[in-house]
Amino acid sequence: MEHDPAQVYTPADDTFLLLDAARQEARPRDSVLEIGTGSGYIAGELRKAVRRVVATEINPHAAASAREQGIDVIRTDLFAGVRGTFDLIIFNPPYLPTAPEERIGDWLEYALDGGISGREVIARFLSGAGRVLAPGGRILLLISSLTGLPNVTGIAFEEKYYAEVVRDQVVEGERLYVIRLKRNGKS
Amino acid sequence: MRRKILDILCCPVCKGDLTLSVAEENEKEIIEGVLTCNACRVDYPIHDGIPNLLPQNTCE
Repeated sequence: MEHDPAQVYTPADDTFLLLDAARQEARPRDSVLEIGTGSGYIAGELRKAVRRVVATEINPHAAASAREQGIDVIRTDLFAGVRGTFDLIIFNPPYLPTAPEERIGDWLEYALDGGISGREVIARFLSGAGRVLAPGGRILLLISSLTGLPNVTGIAFEEKYYAEVVRDQVVEGERLYVIRLKRNGKS
Repeated sequence: MRRKILDILCCPVCKGDLTLSVAEENEKEIIEGVLTCNACRVDYPIHDGIPNLLPQNTCE
């Protein structure tokens, strides 16, 4: 497919912060799932450090871009068409609070629009991620102060995850966080 | 789509097994084909090397 680069999220500060955290978190034997890989930048960089990287993406332009990088990419919503379990799941979600009248109606919106709260996609992700997370597996999730750190860790807690902030960085009026999540208890 | 990722694909609706039919393949990967969920009786296309596991009744 001829894909339109203008419809693909360009790697930015949030991408680099998440990649930095992922590089530290990843272990050579990890099987890694990246949700919403966008251009495929993080997946491409991590591939050298782990056993396997698989990525999902809903935006056809971004999926084509990731495939050009040689990423094993599946076009699906979050992890809907994926099964099996992964040791590490990475997600830079759409995290910006977005009112209906602010919606732009293009594919890039899927990378940005977190619904009115900014947490709609994150909540869906946290509610379903357990199905594809290996026992003892970890999740790295990028959010912003605009998304609400206490709100997100609250949702994580309700979904039975421990959350800890492993990276943070101030960027133009917001603070970006990478949160590391693990299941509560022994599971 | 490389054949080795087939084991981690499932129907996005029922999470059941998918059956692969290949229309075009090179030495590296499957370029065109179909992934069928027999339980849902739905075909998910593989196009330009990318499996499309979006629900087929609602996608564009």
